[in-house]
Amino acid sequence: MTALGARVQRGDRATVLARSRARAALLPDLLVEARRIANIITPGWHGRRRRGIGEEFWQYRPYAPGETVARIDWRRSARDEHIYVRDLEWQAAHTVWLWADPSPSMLFQSRGATISKESRALVIVLALAELLSRSGERIAYPGAFAPTASRLGAERLAASLYGETALADQPDLSHVGGASDLVIVSDFLDEPEAIEARFAPLAARGTRVHFVEVADPVEESFPYAGRTEFLDPETGEKLTAGRAETIAAEYRALYLARREALSRFAQTRGWTHTVTHTDALASAALVRLFGLLSGEGSA
Amino acid sequence: MIGFGAPLVLAGFIVLPAIWWLLRLTPPRPETETFPPLKILMRIIRKDETPHKSPWWLTLLRLALASLLILALARPMLNPQADLSTGDGPVALLIDNSWISGPDWDARQITARGLIEDAGERGQPVLMAFSAMAPNAEIGPFETEAALERLEAAQPEPVSSDRNLALARLTEGARDLAASGGVSLALLSDGLAAANPLPTPDATVFSSVTLFSPAERRALALTGTDNGADAMVVAAARDPSQMEAAVMNVTAFDSRSRPIASAPLTFAAGEDTGEARIELPFELRNAIASIAIDATPQAGAVRLLDSTSGRRRVALVAAATADGAQPLLAPLHYIRQALLPFADIVEPEGDDLEAVIAQALDDRPSVVVLADVGVMPEAARTRLQGWVEDGGMLIRFAGPRLAATESGDDALLPVRLRSGERALDGALSWNEPQPIAAFPAVGPFAGLPAPQDVSVRRQVLAEPDISTPERTWASLTDGTPLVTGRTLERGTVALFHVGSDAVWSNLPISGSFVDMLRRLVRLSSAAGSGGDAAGGTLAPLRTLDAQGRLGQPPATAKPAEAETPVSFENPPGLYGVADGFRAMNLFAADTRFAPLEPGADWPTLTRAAYADTAETDLRGPLFAGGLLLLLLDALAVLWMSGALRGAARAPRRVAASAALGLFVAGGSVSGIDHARAQSTDNAPAAQVTEIDELAAIEAISQTRIAYVLTGNAIIDETTEAGIRGLSDYLASRTALEPGAPMAVNPETDELAFYPLIYWPIDPDSPAPSAAALQRIDAYMKNGGTVLFDTRDQLTSGLDPNASPATRRLRDMLAGMNIPPLEPVPQDHVLTKSFFILTEFPGRYRGSPLWVEAANAPVGDQPSRPVRTLDGITPIMITGNDFAGAWAADAFGEPLYATVPDDPLQRLYAYRAGVNIMMVMLTGNYKSDQVHVPALLERLGQ
Repeated sequence: MTALGARVQRGDRATVLARSRARAALLPDLLVEARRIANIITPGWHGRRRRGIGEEFWQYRPYAPGETVARIDWRRSARDEHIYVRDLEWQAAHTVWLWADPSPSMLFQSRGATISKESRALVIVLALAELLSRSGERIAYPGAFAPTASRLGAERLAASLYGETALADQPDLSHVGGASDLVIVSDFLDEPEAIEARFAPLAARGTRVHFVEVADPVEESFPYAGRTEFLDPETGEKLTAGRAETIAAEYRALYLARREALSRFAQTRGWTHTVTHTDALASAALVRLFGLLSGEGSA
Repeated sequence: MIGFGAPLVLAGFIVLPAIWWLLRLTPPRPETETFPPLKILMRIIRKDETPHKSPWWLTLLRLALASLLILALARPMLNPQADLSTGDGPVALLIDNSWISGPDWDARQITARGLIEDAGERGQPVLMAFSAMAPNAEIGPFETEAALERLEAAQPEPVSSDRNLALARLTEGARDLAASGGVSLALLSDGLAAANPLPTPDATVFSSVTLFSPAERRALALTGTDNGADAMVVAAARDPSQMEAAVMNVTAFDSRSRPIASAPLTFAAGEDTGEARIELPFELRNAIASIAIDATPQAGAVRLLDSTSGRRRVALVAAATADGAQPLLAPLHYIRQALLPFADIVEPEGDDLEAVIAQALDDRPSVVVLADVGVMPEAARTRLQGWVEDGGMLIRFAGPRLAATESGDDALLPVRLRSGERALDGALSWNEPQPIAAFPAVGPFAGLPAPQDVSVRRQVLAEPDISTPERTWASLTDGTPLVTGRTLERGTVALFHVGSDAVWSNLPISGSFVDMLRRLVRLSSAAGSGGDAAGGTLAPLRTLDAQGRLGQPPATAKPAEAETPVSFENPPGLYGVADGFRAMNLFAADTRFAPLEPGADWPTLTRAAYADTAETDLRGPLFAGGLLLLLLDALAVLWMSGALRGAARAPRRVAASAALGLFVAGGSVSGIDHARAQSTDNAPAAQVTEIDELAAIEAISQTRIAYVLTGNAIIDETTEAGIRGLSDYLASRTALEPGAPMAVNPETDELAFYPLIYWPIDPDSPAPSAAALQRIDAYMKNGGTVLFDTRDQLTSGLDPNASPATRRLRDMLAGMNIPPLEPVPQDHVLTKSFFILTEFPGRYRGSPLWVEAANAPVGDQPSRPVRTLDGITPIMITGNDFAGAWAADAFGEPLYATVPDDPLQRLYAYRAGVNIMMVMLTGNYKSDQVHVPALLERLGQ
């Protein structure tokens, strides 16, 4: 009887990119919810359907006293008795930090899963990058990719990740700005305390964090039985269970409690927590993320 | 009791503790799983909780497995055979092949084979003699192969063991071999003491003696018959080892082996003799040709009867020529009518009395009746007197001619007669017609009631002398003799003092006349006195074999003298010619059986039992049990290592796979037959006592051909398709449109509904029970026909022995009353009942179709088909695989190619089936066709 799960090699970035493109193609352009965004001066390509700094005409409005005269549209004002100010549509880009957990624990795929956790994480990250790039948002990857707005953002992110051989197991969050979104794709199997300690400072900075938890089905269901030796891919530790089926219930309770704790941690800060299983399609999680980022899916 | 062939291996149990220690120490190898959330797991499991010892039950399982293996390797045997090799020298075998050897002959052969092979391994020759063998038979010394061949060729003989000759010859032969080492004598006995006590084996020749006796002796024999006044009393003897009360059944058969009657044979507890009374009318009792104990295929259980207890032949001679127009006035008419039921009548024709009497005596009658014969030609008289003196019985009737004869000292008359007759009833007579007085208490008519309605009007009178009263067997009320008789040498002469017609008295037309004649005929010494049958040297006619079947005498059978005892060269049977034979039976009256007890002075004696009956090798079951445990162990290890976790969600699958494992293991222990055996075991218990009405209506609403289910699906399907194919052919070719074939189980189903039951023999299926065979037997007796098909024509030619199917058929038929069989003769009704056929091929060709033999031809008169009784042959046997040729699929395409592949052969096979069915349904009606020429001739055309 072969093992239920196995370690896998890191996925080929090009393949992952192609797959993430396919996922991304299913979603409309991702526009980070405008109302969430504070004063951002970095111009973006897409109008935010409100007045602001931009290049496209948005509206004429009556001149309010106190406004700078330079903004009066004289041609329009000459048509009637009122004085109009010409507003432009606000075109602004938002920075979204993306990060996929590269730790060895992600390099795992069970027989029931269609893909490894690491591959799933990359697909989600690159698909988001593709969507955001298409929308003109700036994407960034801690430690690998500075905030960039480019139509080819996803390719460039993939290329930079491809070149990066030794990615840090934990993201360097020092550069993440306050008014940006951070998407963390990981299995969150570390101790909850460590995770909370790592991300809590971001709340103070005002960064909005989206936890995307990638879970392999066997991690959740624990279908092991009989005498089983468990091997931690991260630390290489071994643990032998005499009759694994006897501890399954206890394990599941703990596993779900951990997830619950993470979810609660996110909710109390207005952050989000999404779970994607590697035996399901990435699209589900992607759609939910899309909603969260565009403000449609969140309350 | 259990013994071990290699007991030293049992020392292997010493290592069991070591195995136990090792098993306790080594846990099963865990399955390694990569598991990222190990940290969570670590909060549950403490490392020191990991068991590194096997669970106790797994250890126990493996210890049991090891124990089983050690036990199996030690070659355990149930009831082990003693070590047979008695010495290093040559072996002399004295093998009993007596009449009782049939049931355990195989065991005896196996034991003998083991002894011969043992000797062969030691390079020693073998002397081998049988208790029933020709006096000059070769006894060796033989090499192993030659001895084995002779052993295979030997078979039980229908005689008692006579070991003295064999032992003498063995002693002689062994003396020559004794130089090379002590000869060990193995006596493979049937357990019964012979008539002559066995001499002590010569200790100087035989170093040791091993006496093999069967574990159970089942000697059971009929020792005598007595055809009494009202019943045939059969005496039987049984083995003294079986003393409990028992009731068996004896069946009497006529000369064509048809059962006539049966009666219980009762042995009281503690008695080794028993008795059966077959109560039958006298005529039927005379027809009994043999009596056999049911279901005991031994020569001793069959008693043959010859004509001493059979019908008498009576020759009728009258001086007056019968007037064909007035039969009631013919002198012999009433005698003939009275004698016909219980005697064979011979009536020589002609006017010349001398020729007539000579002709009558040529037929070797038991009784000669002379009706109103006065003067006989001297030659005829002399011959007749010689015949009577040799034991014949002469019955004479008075009449005008006798009355007119001056008798003088006629030796052929019991008394001197006065010349002329006495008239009791006439116009000038004072006398009244006289009735008959009560019969005297002694004499042939003792016990008969005196007829009240008989009166005598005329009679011839005896000249009274001193011997008249004692010669008077019956008299009138006035004391004058009516019937007189006396013995003449070994014969008897009797005289009715009245005529044989109704003129002188009405005695001949009374019932008493029949009784009186019957008594007189019973007096006759039968067997055709004066003939050669009773004396002289008689050639064997038909002899019994060891199974008690009457058949052609073996080549070794020799003619027997009157006093010749039964021996190997004179096996029990019928000696003589078909018209007059003497029965030689195995046992004289008052035979008792005694066990064979060796004398105290025998050389070192070892007693042993036969191999086959005792020794059972237990290795197979033990290894199978080990395999089962191994399977369980594998399942347990798989389960513990979690390999079954996929199945754990579906426990049913685990259970199923475990059950499958158990089934496979169980199958290897006892074979698939187990399940079948169980089903057949249950069958008799669930015997149908009432006919299932719906099934019965279904069965009889159409004519159906039935076939017997063998349990083998392929054979059953083929048979079903075959019968269906034949039914279709019948429907298309004949007026018969049979219904769908009906599968029957002879154990349970009612058979009487079917005209024909097709029975394919499958040697691999369980044999039908005795009850089922009895049902089949009854079915055949009641007019049904069973077509047995051994389906082995293709293979049987290659095998010199009988094929398994044939052997199975023999075993089955051994328990039934099967008439004599013959291949279908050319003029049999089966060859012309619908199609004209010369052979009956099926899928194969060449095997004859065996049917009940027709009557033997009489003289030059053709026996068939005119003389064939109305009965249809109750049994047909072929090996041609009819159903295989008939089998067709739904489109009428044949399922199996014929061998050889000839379309015409299949056509003939169908035609054979049609003919068989036609005979089944119309009987011998087609036989009448042979009468057509005679009928046409009679019609004057």
